[in-house]
Amino acid sequence: MLDRNTHPSDEQILLELDGELSASAAKSVRTHLEACWPCRARRQQLERSIADLIRASESDGLLPSAASARERLQARMAELKTLAPERSPRPATQPSRMLHHLAACVLCLLAISWLASRFGFRPRWQHPRTTVLSMPDANLTPGATILLSQNAVCSQANVKNKDVPPSVQRIVFGEYGIEPAQLRSYEVDYLVTPALGGSDDIRNLWPHSYSSTWNARVKDALEDRLREMVCEGKLELSQAQREIATNWIEAYKKYFQTDVPLTEHAKEWH
Amino acid sequence: MPARANLHPPVNLDSAEPGSLENEVVALFDQWRGKLLRYTLRIGVTVQDGEEVIQETFLSLFRHLQSGKSRENLQGWLFRVAHNLALRRCQRSRSSPEALDGLDMAAIDPSPGPEAQFSDSQTRERLLAVVHALPEQDRRCLFLRAEGLRYREIAAVLDISLGAVSLSLSRSLARIGRAAER
Repeated sequence: MLDRNTHPSDEQILLELDGELSASAAKSVRTHLEACWPCRARRQQLERSIADLIRASESDGLLPSAASARERLQARMAELKTLAPERSPRPATQPSRMLHHLAACVLCLLAISWLASRFGFRPRWQHPRTTVLSMPDANLTPGATILLSQNAVCSQANVKNKDVPPSVQRIVFGEYGIEPAQLRSYEVDYLVTPALGGSDDIRNLWPHSYSSTWNARVKDALEDRLREMVCEGKLELSQAQREIATNWIEAYKKYFQTDVPLTEHAKEWH
Repeated sequence: MPARANLHPPVNLDSAEPGSLENEVVALFDQWRGKLLRYTLRIGVTVQDGEEVIQETFLSLFRHLQSGKSRENLQGWLFRVAHNLALRRCQRSRSSPEALDGLDMAAIDPSPGPEAQFSDSQTRERLLAVVHALPEQDRRCLFLRAEGLRYREIAAVLDISLGAVSLSLSRSLARIGRAAER
């Protein structure tokens, strides 16, 4: 297939590397490579590119744990099985199954409404203040980033965070169990700000109290400072993201060398 | 749907007898979920959408096996279904993959990863920029190959010819090689 004077193309070399050639074609490529230094160098180059690519993408973050996803899948399969029994539907038993489901749903609803009346809609006087949230719940909001390079982050303008759509805000408030009457006390805030590569994933959003000493404006000041340092090359982007996601208040104290918000940052919200 | 919404009660695992179809699907889930999720994130869906795509993929697998269909090359089958569901989600949320601002490799949990140890971060930046600049099809080929798919499987997922796959991969790798040389 290949005589001594025709060199295999990059594509053929790659096919050979990936074991995608027929035995005879692979053999003729290999025989050529044994005799041809330039082609061997090209193969090495290809392998180096693959190694570089794999190394660079290994730094993709950790995936969320599989446990809860597995459980959800099992539950949904069980549900599918009851709703559509395998192959032979049994019309006689179907209505009773549906009744079971209906009964289960009604019970659930009853339980939920009882819980809601017990915990959710307490008389106002038992809730003199809304919970002040200065830090997100690490389980609900671990922080999430898009894998942007430092260059990519710094070449974008330092834009103000875009508004979180109301539908997403509702989910965030729901997760944190904040009652509708109290929504006005919170701003749905990004944990890792998009200007530092934060994503608009739900894991990166949390309700931040306006009334907190450590409010969103104080956090904005920290974000500006960190971004400045990242873009001046004084701080690794990944470190900035990590510190802000782990404990942004500690990060503020560290980078502004203070225990309380500086007055110019701690202006009152209204 | 939020990824963490707990809409279902815990499953009674005893109800699925060993060797049942559910257990087979769960075993396949454990085997493939990571690769599939990483691929969907890389082609531009958000984490919660990606998780939902994976759920739907394995429910389809459950139905596929339940109706007694072929077990041949489940890897290719899973990637094809996940790929199509992910693209549909991208279209629905109107964030087409091309419209992504950043590199389409999503990372979660900014904990110190191998990134910190990556010695030549400049090479890495250049390389990621090259990958980002690749045509969409080439990028998908590359990501599918990185997850261990054979060329014919990649061809089936992306609905392109076998020749197009090898051409695309060698083109992309050549660009990556040139970027590293600079």
